[in-house]
Amino acid sequence: MMNLLSVLFKKEVLDASRDKRSVMAGLYYAIGTPILMCLLFSVMLKQFASPEDLKITIKNAEQAPNLVQYLESKEIVHSTGEDVKEIVLEISDQYAEKMYEGRPATVTVIADKSNDKLRKSITRLELALGRYNAEVASLRLLARGVDPTLMRAVDVQVHDQATPDSKGGMFLGIATLSIVLTLFYAAMNLAIDTSAGERERNSIALLLSHPISTLQIVLAKSGAIATFSMLGLALILVVSKFAYGMVPWEQLGFSVNLSIEFMLFCFVIGLPIALMSASLQVFVSFMAKSFKEAQTYVTMVLFVPMALSMVTTYDIATDVVQWLPIAAQQYAMIEFIKGNDIPVAQLALSTLITLALFGVFSYLSSRMLKSEKVVFGL
Amino acid sequence: MISVNNLEKKIGSVKAMNNLSFTAQNGKITGLLGPNGAGKTTCLRTVFGLLKADSGNAEIDGIDVAKDPMAAKQKLGLFPDPCGLYERLTPREYIQFYAELSGMETEAAKAATQDVLSKLKMDDIADRRCQGFSQGQHMKTALAQAIVHKPTNIILDEPTRGLDVMSTRILRELLLMLKEQGHCVLFSSHVMQEVAALCDHVVVMAKGQVVAEGSPAELCERTGKESLEEAFIELIGSDEGIAA
Repeated sequence: MMNLLSVLFKKEVLDASRDKRSVMAGLYYAIGTPILMCLLFSVMLKQFASPEDLKITIKNAEQAPNLVQYLESKEIVHSTGEDVKEIVLEISDQYAEKMYEGRPATVTVIADKSNDKLRKSITRLELALGRYNAEVASLRLLARGVDPTLMRAVDVQVHDQATPDSKGGMFLGIATLSIVLTLFYAAMNLAIDTSAGERERNSIALLLSHPISTLQIVLAKSGAIATFSMLGLALILVVSKFAYGMVPWEQLGFSVNLSIEFMLFCFVIGLPIALMSASLQVFVSFMAKSFKEAQTYVTMVLFVPMALSMVTTYDIATDVVQWLPIAAQQYAMIEFIKGNDIPVAQLALSTLITLALFGVFSYLSSRMLKSEKVVFGL
Repeated sequence: MISVNNLEKKIGSVKAMNNLSFTAQNGKITGLLGPNGAGKTTCLRTVFGLLKADSGNAEIDGIDVAKDPMAAKQKLGLFPDPCGLYERLTPREYIQFYAELSGMETEAAKAATQDVLSKLKMDDIADRRCQGFSQGQHMKTALAQAIVHKPTNIILDEPTRGLDVMSTRILRELLLMLKEQGHCVLFSSHVMQEVAALCDHVVVMAKGQVVAEGSPAELCERTGKESLEEAFIELIGSDEGIAA
């Protein structure tokens, strides 16, 4: 039994490894995705971040030399160059006069607040203006012999418990999404070729006429595909480690760092997923009569794991979803990187469900191969 | 020995096998002769366990295929129609794979593969990938796979299709050799010359039934015709679907 299984498995691996186009498609995914993500993250970070020197347009600066000087000390300066942000600080004509009289002097911030790229810079400017406001007000109270702390009825203190690593939530979500989906996409073509392709080429009948069980055939095929998925996983982990290392995370004060421990962790929890993914794709492909047909079915079916992964990525997971396969494993991966406790119960249950699904899909495929309809398309 | 007993099978609304019975003895070449659509392939597929008969059974060396398919299949070598190869494997890998699947140990399978490759004069293509093979090379590879593990019973579905004269001769010699060694050879064909030249026993099939059985000479004698072809037409009652 084991001997036949290994003969079948070896043949599947040999056959698949010579299918250069399918193997390359898997490699492209595993190598390309992290690099693409790395570029995307770099661009996003640059847009979100406020530059060191925030260059804006200040109108009527001569009315408020003190304010301008204060802003300069906070690295917010007037400029006319290319890299000026689209933020205008307009100082009113009566600014100096009102200041002198000790009445509210108007400054207007003109900017598009719906522009995500400016949000951080606008907040920075508003914060600086607020501080200046408080400073001047304190000085005025002191001049009148009043303790400025009277103005602070409540002393609000915020302890930010976010560790640098935990801040990168969405980035981590996307990074782990691409890792989990490798297990589904890296060997997709191989899975279709070994099942629907075998039917299309009329080689399945001879295989079935040999003294082996259909379950052995299905297990050998799933095993071979899972092997290639795991290779894809190993590759994407290594490439990710280096690619994400080059993203300028410092700007946001966190980093996505894939440690060796994390890579091993992914490998262990990825194996059941790889087996399930392989058996699912084999099952779906055997339903199709041709390679093309199978491609359509498999692509449609893979929306399910993708959806589960997306739900985790954008953190809209309800309590129920967190117990489901793929979602739970990815959630555990995110928690692992953040350095939090791993949700052991969820991970254990979802792994069990994943393995059970592997069993169910394998059994269904083996049943299907006993059907005359499937084998001969009668 | 292969025996087929009262096989019946309906595929859709067509009765592909209608109370079909015959026996193929060891040490003899039995030909299943019939026009296109007579049910030859259906019959053979039932014998090697890919199709299930509605009633009746097929036995290989006395083992009911439907009841103990594993044991029955171990005594069988098979050349199906159509027979897809694994195009990315070489004939050597392909043949050895099937030898091992039929239960041979790796080393024995390797030796048997080399043996059959030489016998079929395939050494020049043995280590080339099957992709782009000519019909003849394709057939030879499939044939080698059927006999590599030296099964007692060998079933061939239309083995001469696409073979050139040289390959046909090789096939013929091979089948005769297998017969000499005491194997039971059952093959289907609609090529009269092939059947006339090779078969000890001919089973003429039409519309899922056995119309007549006997040696080619007996069949000619029974119908009073000169050639097997004439006898065949007389037996099935029309000249529909015959390839010369």
